Amino acid sequence: MIETLLQTLLNGVAGGGVYALVALGYTLVFSVLGVINFAQGALFSLGGYLTFLLMGGRIGVNGALPGWGLPGGLPFPLALLLAAAASGLVGLLVERLAFTPLRRRGADPMLGLITSLGAGVVLVNLLQILMGAEGYAFPQGADALGGLPAALAIGGARIRTIQLLLLLVSAGAVLALPLWLEHSRQGQALRAVAEDPTTAQLLGINSEAMLRLAFFLSGALAGLGGGLIGVSVSLPGPYFGIGYGLKGLAVLVLGGLGSVPGAIAGGLLMGLAEALVPSEASGWRDALAFAILFAVLLLRPGGLLGRRQLEKV
Amino acid sequence: MIDNGLLVQMLLGALLGLSVYLPLAAGQLSLATPAFYAVGGTLAALLSTRWRALGATAGGGFPVPSLLLELLLGGLLAGVLALLVGRLVLRLRGIYLAIATIALVEIVRVAILNLPFTGGAIGIFSIPQPFSEASGYLLMALLLLALAGGLCHRLEAMPMGRAMAAIRDDELAAACMGIDTTRVKLTAFVLSAMVAGSSGALAAHFLNTWNARQGSFDVSVTTLAFVILGGSRTWLGPVLGGLLLTALPELLRPVGDVRLVLFGLVILLGPVLAPQGLITPALLERLGGAGREPASREDHP
Repeated sequence: MIETLLQTLLNGVAGGGVYALVALGYTLVFSVLGVINFAQGALFSLGGYLTFLLMGGRIGVNGALPGWGLPGGLPFPLALLLAAAASGLVGLLVERLAFTPLRRRGADPMLGLITSLGAGVVLVNLLQILMGAEGYAFPQGADALGGLPAALAIGGARIRTIQLLLLLVSAGAVLALPLWLEHSRQGQALRAVAEDPTTAQLLGINSEAMLRLAFFLSGALAGLGGGLIGVSVSLPGPYFGIGYGLKGLAVLVLGGLGSVPGAIAGGLLMGLAEALVPSEASGWRDALAFAILFAVLLLRPGGLLGRRQLEKV
Repeated sequence: MIDNGLLVQMLLGALLGLSVYLPLAAGQLSLATPAFYAVGGTLAALLSTRWRALGATAGGGFPVPSLLLELLLGGLLAGVLALLVGRLVLRLRGIYLAIATIALVEIVRVAILNLPFTGGAIGIFSIPQPFSEASGYLLMALLLLALAGGLCHRLEAMPMGRAMAAIRDDELAAACMGIDTTRVKLTAFVLSAMVAGSSGALAAHFLNTWNARQGSFDVSVTTLAFVILGGSRTWLGPVLGGLLLTALPELLRPVGDVRLVLFGLVILLGPVLAPQGLITPALLERLGGAGREPASREDHP
């Protein structure tokens, strides 16, 4: 009984950590631009597939290059980091294609919702053309984790090592980001731009560079999440990141748009709530996040930890 | 190459384009069209296969008046749903509406997949046919499009339509001028849902089978592409966008399945390359009064 509960809680916290990663990615861009980057889910998918390829995975029969793979294979931690960095770079590309032209023209920033959605759709479908729609499973066990045992026994419960890793890595990223934002010079510059880009520019901060930094970090967080989920569960198809991206939106509203602690708390709550759904109702699990979203909109539109909405005139 | 079946699909595309256009004409980005389309289609599929009083025959036939009743009910149910959801989200800023409408699409999809009477992943099949040939559906789709298009056309000349345009240009200014912005946005949202709901009811019969995939997030993307390509300054834009972008992938089929890449590119590049879409008020004016006099000629985003 206790073991089951422990297992459920761990599942919840591990899943919640990944939701927090996605929501933090949205938050970074939102706090600087005031708009949501809808390509986030596609970058999540990209991170998963890149991790798979970098670890030496081969493209399946339905892909564009059946049987093709990168020569050799990297150990999981290195592959994950590289995949996250590459997703961050593609995040920069999304900024370039979907947001920069609108900003240059002084267009309504809300149009960025539409263009970034387009960028995400293109990315996911290019992935689908390259990799095929089939699912991929990572090599499991000692091979993948560089000699670590596949499972550990903690307090009588059997816990998969990969799940602990998932928890540790996402917790590390989720805790490091607010510290970095709060205390490092670059983090402070980023927050200054988020507060007021013009004043920040006058203070000698390069707003454009900070914006790109936000997009890179946001893409890297999504890629990290995708790689972690890919290894701990599987890659069920190029669209799998879209589902996480959409749930990340629910987490974002739950925590309060633009709030970093809100994104983390919202992610954890969402992960725990999903883990507590009984298995008889598992088909409904995917709707839970969105039901919570409507409840939040009804009861507390500012989110759990959001600032009160003040319209600027 | 373009047969009656494809024409029906193109007209359904035009209808869904109008459904995305209506809230957008009031400056609200709603991605909920697939949810309402799915609700209308599921209702029609359930009623026609379960409710004997509607007169489905053993041979798979179906009386046309019953179909008309379903179109009405599908539209009404979707409209009521939009009223409930819209009340909740339309008083918030635009970004919430976009997120909440995505949430609605996902909830409806999961519900249709898991409810005990909607057939799970397979869905509902052998939906009775009111017409033995596609030409009957073509007539019906034309009728629906004439209704929805006529409504949008009238709207552009009515106070409601002008209020929608005012909110789109500047919501705060519109509110200051005494426009009840929430009511106007809600009206546009409900009308949008009704168009999608009725279209879904017709599509369910036309396709003969109906499942949760008909209302997936993909449809949000494709229908949004209709409006971005055609333009959302007048109602003719989304109609043209829906017709073109439904036909194009079918004609391009030999190239391979690039449908969604194409739609993604339209959404990514459209707002930058052609902010007003293909059909703009200025173009209509040049063509000689095919549309109304534009209320404003300024190039607002």
